[in-house]
Amino acid sequence: MSKVGPLGEGLSVSAGVQADSSAVSAGPRARSLSGDGPESPRGALAGVRAGVRLLRSEIGLTFRRPRNLALLGVLAVVPLVIGVAIRAAGDGADSFVGQVAGNGLVLTFAAFFVMLPLVLPLAVGVVAGDSIAGEAGLGTLRYLLTAPAGRTRLLALKYANVVVFAVAACALVAVSALVTGLVLFPVGPVTLLSGSTIPLAEGLLRIGLVALYAAAGMAALGALALAISTLTETSIGAIATTLVLVVVAQVLQAIPQLAVIEPYLLTSWWAGFDGALRDPVATDQMGQGLLVFAAYIVVCGSIAWARFTSRDITA
Amino acid sequence: MPKRARAVRWGVPIAAIAVVAGAVGAGPVIAAVQGDPVLPERTAQQLLADVGTRWKSGELPPMSGTIIETASLGVPGLSALTGEATGPVALLAGSHQVKIWYGSDSQIRLALPSHMSEHDLIVNGDQTWWWDSAANTATRIKTPPMPSEPALPPAVITPQEAAERALAAADHDTAVSVGNDATVAGRAAYELVLAPRAATSLVKDIRVAIDGETLIPLRVQVYAKGAAEPAFEVGFDSVTFSRPAPENFEFTPPAGAKVQDGEMPALDQDRAALREHAEDGELKTVGSGWTSVVVLPFATADLAEGEKQGHGPGLAVGAMADGVLKAAEPVSGAWGNGRLIRTKLVSALLTDDGRLIAGAVTPEVLYEAAGRK
Repeated sequence: MSKVGPLGEGLSVSAGVQADSSAVSAGPRARSLSGDGPESPRGALAGVRAGVRLLRSEIGLTFRRPRNLALLGVLAVVPLVIGVAIRAAGDGADSFVGQVAGNGLVLTFAAFFVMLPLVLPLAVGVVAGDSIAGEAGLGTLRYLLTAPAGRTRLLALKYANVVVFAVAACALVAVSALVTGLVLFPVGPVTLLSGSTIPLAEGLLRIGLVALYAAAGMAALGALALAISTLTETSIGAIATTLVLVVVAQVLQAIPQLAVIEPYLLTSWWAGFDGALRDPVATDQMGQGLLVFAAYIVVCGSIAWARFTSRDITA
Repeated sequence: MPKRARAVRWGVPIAAIAVVAGAVGAGPVIAAVQGDPVLPERTAQQLLADVGTRWKSGELPPMSGTIIETASLGVPGLSALTGEATGPVALLAGSHQVKIWYGSDSQIRLALPSHMSEHDLIVNGDQTWWWDSAANTATRIKTPPMPSEPALPPAVITPQEAAERALAAADHDTAVSVGNDATVAGRAAYELVLAPRAATSLVKDIRVAIDGETLIPLRVQVYAKGAAEPAFEVGFDSVTFSRPAPENFEFTPPAGAKVQDGEMPALDQDRAALREHAEDGELKTVGSGWTSVVVLPFATADLAEGEKQGHGPGLAVGAMADGVLKAAEPVSGAWGNGRLIRTKLVSALLTDDGRLIAGAVTPEVLYEAAGRK
């Protein structure tokens, strides 16, 4: 089969091929790709509708893949393991994690504390690293590009899918930890790091804040992984590169002599979620973290866009 | 795809990186473009007098802000510590953040945040609490720290206290002048420069930035000789002059926390030891002003002992001392033999006959003091 031109955004492909959804869904992973071309009278509205449909089908595929389900399963189990371990070990209320024994809500913070450095990035890195390279490796990327969506929109949809997964992953950790905490431990007003106590409802609000901040951090990692994913055709390569970068960044972070570069590392800002556990909330620290995440998303996103829209798709 | 079109596409990420780099570097650039702020001129004497009257007239205005403390004292063997220690001991190296809420002399809160833990000092009326979230311990401090007395370890002093101390040191041996106006925490400030006249001092100068409007010290920088960057700096990163919310000064030990009575945990041992030494006549100072040198009996064995019984901060101090001692260089002279620890600001001599001689001076001054016995 001939190459699809790099600038094929719905121009080089004839409308006849686009309309024939059975032809484009011949790949191993069936999707609904039918839709009107951007030039048709109903173009704009239909384009949006097609985009939504494509995103929905992407999300459906992501959450149906056994590998991704296994990853989500691990994310749900880790808080449970932490909770059971603390329950079994008895109360050592000397540290923050130890306070879990006295208040189940604290388990959520402990879970993020434990999982943000590696477990959550692993799950998000796999899904995001696979998003473009995986399609290229399977040979399905070509077929996707015959859709009228256009490369820019396709990339945006892929990233939206990654963000949805990141949010779902963080929400799952929060919910799993919350349920485990409710079942295994007493629940009551939450003691913050600053020593002040907030009522249960506000505690739940802070849990939401922590989960959202973590999701933003994971979305930034997703942008990085997506950029790497556009550079290769082997998904395992993109996934491994992402995770190696995460680990290397955290090693660099641990070297005191390199403290100068720490503010520029994505990983060092993930830990900033503890700002939600202070009184008053450390908005300056968390706001700065969100800015860093946004910067990573803009830079990595634009790299992914430049690469994806200018490269020759051969597989 | 034509080469040009491809180049244009790659221009987008390059532009994005440029924008981000610009945003990161914008602060210093904007400051450089704007130049130094212009404040009505004041001589050093006028400035000192104005500040003096301001302090005499009573309380500071209510405010809240973030203080950044940066120490690069260049203590050999200390850098290994920065990653591990938390709390006041960690302030000896690296950069740290202290948040301050100041309502009045009887309403002060200081918070030292670190990852997943926090130390808080809360003064409210006649109640003073020291909260350590890592140890889940609230300490009711019996003697509330007096504002006139340096109550915190030197590393956690507020700009006010630091400036007060620097001004107290201003004597006949100090050249006091007003430097270029500076911008600190976005506010125009006078800069008072205190330079020691003694050639043997390791301190080049101490610069105190004083807010042009409220005359409150916003930053203190200590420059060592031959260094472009300050060896020690404590100053506001952001500050607002409005009354902090009253709940900042309320503290009730949370349920499940250990509550104990005591003095500042990081201080009581050191203070007691110092007092003891001074009473025994063991602690001596030689010289005066910038070149004064402290002589006190000191045995390496003490350290090892402290390490064994110590836990928490004690252990960190032990580990720190261990690293520093290993990096000390052996020296000898007419005064005897010993080991010399040189940092940018402080030299310390450990003589083999069990004395510790230290000061912000060149080693020659220490040798002289060692020979005096």
